[in-house]
Amino acid sequence: MIFVYVVSAILMIVSLIVQGHPSFDVIRIADVKPDLLFIIIVYLSYNFGSFYGETCGFIGGILHDCFSRSPLGLLAFPKMAIGFIVGMLGRDVFKNSVITITLLILLASMVKGVITLMLCYVFHEASISQVLTIIIPEAFYNALISPIIFILLDKLFAKELDSEGNL
Amino acid sequence: MDFLIRSRTIVAFSVFTLFCIISLSVQNSGFTFSIEGIGSAFLMPFQKSYNGIQGGLRKIWAGFTELSEVRAELDKTREKLQQYESVSEELSEIRQENNRLRALLGMKEMVGYDSIAASVISKDPDNWFRTIVINKGKSDGLKINMPVIAFKDGQKAVVGKLVEVRGSIARIQPLVSPSIKLGVQLQESRYPGLLYGKTGSSDICVIDYVSKTAAAKFGDVVCTSGQGGIFPEGLLVGTVMKTELPDSSAYQRLFIKPIINYAILEEVFIITKEPDKEFLELIEGEE
Repeated sequence: MIFVYVVSAILMIVSLIVQGHPSFDVIRIADVKPDLLFIIIVYLSYNFGSFYGETCGFIGGILHDCFSRSPLGLLAFPKMAIGFIVGMLGRDVFKNSVITITLLILLASMVKGVITLMLCYVFHEASISQVLTIIIPEAFYNALISPIIFILLDKLFAKELDSEGNL
Repeated sequence: MDFLIRSRTIVAFSVFTLFCIISLSVQNSGFTFSIEGIGSAFLMPFQKSYNGIQGGLRKIWAGFTELSEVRAELDKTREKLQQYESVSEELSEIRQENNRLRALLGMKEMVGYDSIAASVISKDPDNWFRTIVINKGKSDGLKINMPVIAFKDGQKAVVGKLVEVRGSIARIQPLVSPSIKLGVQLQESRYPGLLYGKTGSSDICVIDYVSKTAAAKFGDVVCTSGQGGIFPEGLLVGTVMKTELPDSSAYQRLFIKPIINYAILEEVFIITKEPDKEFLELIEGEE
């Protein structure tokens, strides 16, 4: 399991750095870029359970908050909550196939977006137009690239998934 | 103890939720600032190394691929240099004439500010916020609210202002961020307005409170008005894309495309001009 902890930490840091690097802006579609960190958290939660998912979501989210200009906790809470929910329902509701994974990420991204919007509304500033300008495009973008990331991560964690009986 | 271990998922969820709610409730306090500082200090070395490695690899690759292009460019540059030498003489004459005319009109000399060059090392990884991180910070003399510009076709254009300054890095809030408020004016007609970003993710700005009598049209240039105490007057901001005349308002609204393309922004200059103290006190007093 130590391998999973170390690789998860590396993946989260690398995804944040890649996401924040100026060259990543080139792949913006409809003014949004995909949230790689979020996809990784959903993956970890889906495969290693609720506790691991929410912990990774919280730590990754706090790092994301530190990296971003957002108030501390604003990006951490949605990621942690999704980590918890996906870990609880993930494998029971969404079986491991490209279509269901895409659907899972689409729904999870939308829920994350709505939670973020609500937190922004209460603790920061928000506009309902962000549903159309951020939440929906980002959810589709995440869903579009998630199968590839899931396949790559499945290969990376093949041994651990096998021992957990999730492969 | 057994209960805690058995219910660790729920316990952890509750603890994390509590932490997030408390930290959001006390945001901008010393508590959150120090945690963000620790997180930022932890991530920055990785970020800077990644940036350095990527920059180095790009330079090595460019050494192989761009050699013939560089040669052709060198020849062109030499030709241009000759042209510019003659232009330079002409320019110094024009400048002298301009100074004389200014003196005649009793105008003040345009104030020139010192600036510090910096490179963009990171951007906000999220779609909800739009900030840019640069490789200069407190140790280079940067302070919060200093204006940031970049050069586009030889002209100074506004990038944003500093909103966070740490040891060796600083964070810029760009014009396209909804949180920024900037006093601007139409370059030709001189009508003033208040500019802010449309949404966190779009590259469009909005100018409100522009008089309906201002005949703004597509392509009109917008520049800083100097009001607000942060940005000097006359810096380029953007061009008008669309105008909107709401019936319910006494003002018209303009949609602006910034001069700066934030997707390809690499180098910026921070004007080492501290904001007017009286103005800042006034704003803080209002807040």
